[in-house]
Amino acid sequence: MQPKLKSKVRAADREIGEVTRVIMDPLSREVSHIVVSLNGSGERQVAMVHVQSVSDHVVELRSAASEIMALPAFKRDDFVTTHEIEIAHLDENIHVAPGEVLVPIPELEKSVKRRTFFTNLTHAIGFLIGLPIAYPVLRYLMVPMYQPFDNSWLKIGNVSKIKQDDVGVQFKYKKKVKEAYLPEAEIEKNVWILKTTSPVLEKIYQGKDMEFRDAAGNSVWVNKKEVPYVAFSGKCPHLGCGYKWRHHKLLGDVFLCPCHLSIYDAGGKVLDGPAPRPLDALPIKVSASGDVQIIDMEFKAGTKAQVRII
Amino acid sequence: MQPTPSSSAQPTALEKVIAFVDERVGLKTLQAKMLNEPVPGGSRWAYIFGSILLFIFIMQAVTGILLMFYYVPTADHAYASTQYIIHDVDYGWFLLSYHFWGSTAMVVCVFAHMSQVFLWGAYKKPRELIWLVGLALFGLVMGFGFTGYLLPWDQRAYWATTVGVEIMDKTPVVGDFMARFLKGGPTPGQMTLSRFFVIHVMILPAALMGLAGLHLFLFRKAGPAGPFHGSVEELKAKSDYFFPRQVWKDIVGMVTVFLAICALAFWEPVVLLEEATPDPGDYHPEPEWYFLFLFQMLRLKIFAGEFGQFLGAVALPGAFMAFLAALPFIDRDPERNIFKRPIALIGWIVVMTTILIFTVSAIINREFLD
Repeated sequence: MQPKLKSKVRAADREIGEVTRVIMDPLSREVSHIVVSLNGSGERQVAMVHVQSVSDHVVELRSAASEIMALPAFKRDDFVTTHEIEIAHLDENIHVAPGEVLVPIPELEKSVKRRTFFTNLTHAIGFLIGLPIAYPVLRYLMVPMYQPFDNSWLKIGNVSKIKQDDVGVQFKYKKKVKEAYLPEAEIEKNVWILKTTSPVLEKIYQGKDMEFRDAAGNSVWVNKKEVPYVAFSGKCPHLGCGYKWRHHKLLGDVFLCPCHLSIYDAGGKVLDGPAPRPLDALPIKVSASGDVQIIDMEFKAGTKAQVRII
Repeated sequence: MQPTPSSSAQPTALEKVIAFVDERVGLKTLQAKMLNEPVPGGSRWAYIFGSILLFIFIMQAVTGILLMFYYVPTADHAYASTQYIIHDVDYGWFLLSYHFWGSTAMVVCVFAHMSQVFLWGAYKKPRELIWLVGLALFGLVMGFGFTGYLLPWDQRAYWATTVGVEIMDKTPVVGDFMARFLKGGPTPGQMTLSRFFVIHVMILPAALMGLAGLHLFLFRKAGPAGPFHGSVEELKAKSDYFFPRQVWKDIVGMVTVFLAICALAFWEPVVLLEEATPDPGDYHPEPEWYFLFLFQMLRLKIFAGEFGQFLGAVALPGAFMAFLAALPFIDRDPERNIFKRPIALIGWIVVMTTILIFTVSAIINREFLD
C-alpha cells in the first residue's frame, strides 16, 4: 500500500507531521520517498526504508523523531511534477491520493437503457453511409483498367531493311494513342523482325500455322508457316523490358534483355535467364513490295501462357 | 521545469502573450512533457535515427510542395515541366535534387533505424506494436520511392515502373487486378502518372503522418527501451532527459544529414534521361539503388519461369516482411543483449551481406551489358 497524501506521520516516539508530497522512482515506478511537513519546522524527504507501516490515515516510521528532524531539508527544485514529465505507465502506479476523484454523470444519461443498441445503431448508420458510395468509388477508379483490343494493322516499314537471314532487325514505329481527355499522342514502339531460314522457321511454327484471336475468340489473322518473315513484340516476356540483338561470347548472336539477362535465340526460344516463355510472335503481313504491317499486340509478361493485354 | 520567475515585477508584453496562450492551451506543460522524457542509461548517438527520419520527412514535404508549384502530372507535360524546374526555375535544380537525394537519405536512415531497433532487441515486449507500425512505415517509404520515381516521366521512370508493376502482377489471384488498378490500364500511360501522383503527394503523406504519429505515441506510451545491459542502479545514474543532451545529438545528426543531402544535390544534381517511351532505345532499365538487390536477385536461375518469378518477386519478399512482423511474437526471450542472441546477430549479418552482395553484383553487371 502506498502512503496517502495528508496522512499523519508518526515517528517511533511521537507524531511529527503529515505527508505533503510523495516522490516516485522513474524506473521502478514505485514510491521511493515521502515528503513530511513537520508542523511548521520545514519539510523533510523521508525514504521508504524509514517507513514501518502504512494505513489509510497514518504512516508509521521506524526511526525516532530526532532522526527525521536531522535529515536535510526537502529541496523542491530538484523535482518535477508528474504533469511535467513523460514516463510510461507512471500514472497507473500512483495511488497516493486519499480516495477517488469523481465527476457527476448528467441527469439525462442516467436513464439511458439501450446503450449497446445505440452504439450498434451508430455503427450501422456509418456503414449505411459507406456502403452506397463504395461501389461508385470502385467503379470510378476502375474506369480505365480494361480496354478493348485494337486489331488494326500498322504499317511499320519495309523488309528491304533486312540484309541478312536469321538476324534480328529492330523496326521502330509510332503508334497513335488517345487517352481519356488528352489530345491524341504518338508513342514510340518497336518490334524485331527476322527473315528466317527454314530450320528457324520450323522451330517457331513447329509445323503449324499460328492463329491469333480477338477477345471473343474469333480468328483475327493466321501467320502461315511458310512465310519467312517473323515479328517479335519488343517487350521481353520476363518482366516487360526492351531487349536487344546482341553478340554473346558463348551463345553467338542472340536476343538479350539487359534487365534480368534473359537470352533468346533467333527463333525466340529461351536459351538462358529467367524468362518463362519464348518471345511473342505477332501477326505479320508483308506485301509484294516488301511493306510490313503488324497488329500491335502486347502480352502479359512473366507468365508461361500468352495472355493478351493490348 | 519550474516557470522561471520574471526578474522585473511587471511582466513584459511578450510574457503576457505567452501567459495568455499557455492559459488556454497548456503549452508549458506540453513542452515539459515533450522534453522531460527520461532516457534510461542516458542519451546516445545510436538513438538519433528516429528524429532524423522525421526531419528528412519534413524536408521532403517542404521540397515536394515547392516542386508542385511548377510540376504538371500529365504525360505530355510531366517531362517538360521537370526539365523546366531543372533548367529554368531559379534553384529548381537544387530543390529537385534535394528531394531526390532526400529520398535516398530516407532509405539509408530507415535501414539504420530498423537495424538499431533490431540489434538492441527493442522490438520485444512491450514494444511489439511500435515495431509493427514501424514496418508499415518502412513499406510507405518504399512506396514513396516507387511512386516518386515515375513522376519525371523519363526513360528511367518509365521502365522502373513498367518492371515494378509487372512484379506486382505476379501476386496470385489479385495481382492482375492490382497491376491494372495501379496502372489505370493494361500498360503505363497518363492514368498511371495520375495515379502515382495522387498516391505520392496525397495518400502516402497522409498515411505516413498518421502512422508516424501513432509510432511516436506508442513509443512514448511504452517508454524508451534503453541500453541492453547495465543494472537498474547504473541506468538510473546515467539517465538524463530527452532535452538537452539527446536533442543536441539529434540536431547534430540532422544538420549532418542536411549538409550531406545538400552536398549530393550540389555535386550530383538530378539529370533526366530521354522522355519516357515504350521503346527503351539504348537505355538499360534499372531501378533505384535500394531496389537493386531485388532486381539482381530476379536475374538468378532459381527465380526463372513463372513460378520462380512468383517465388523471387512476391513470395520471398512477402515472407521476409511477414517474418519481421511476426518477430516480436516468435522471439519471446526477454534477453535484449545482441551478443547473447547469436541467431539474431547472424541473421542480421546474413541479410545485410546478401543485400550488399546482390547490390554490388548488380552494379558490376552494368559494364557487361554494353
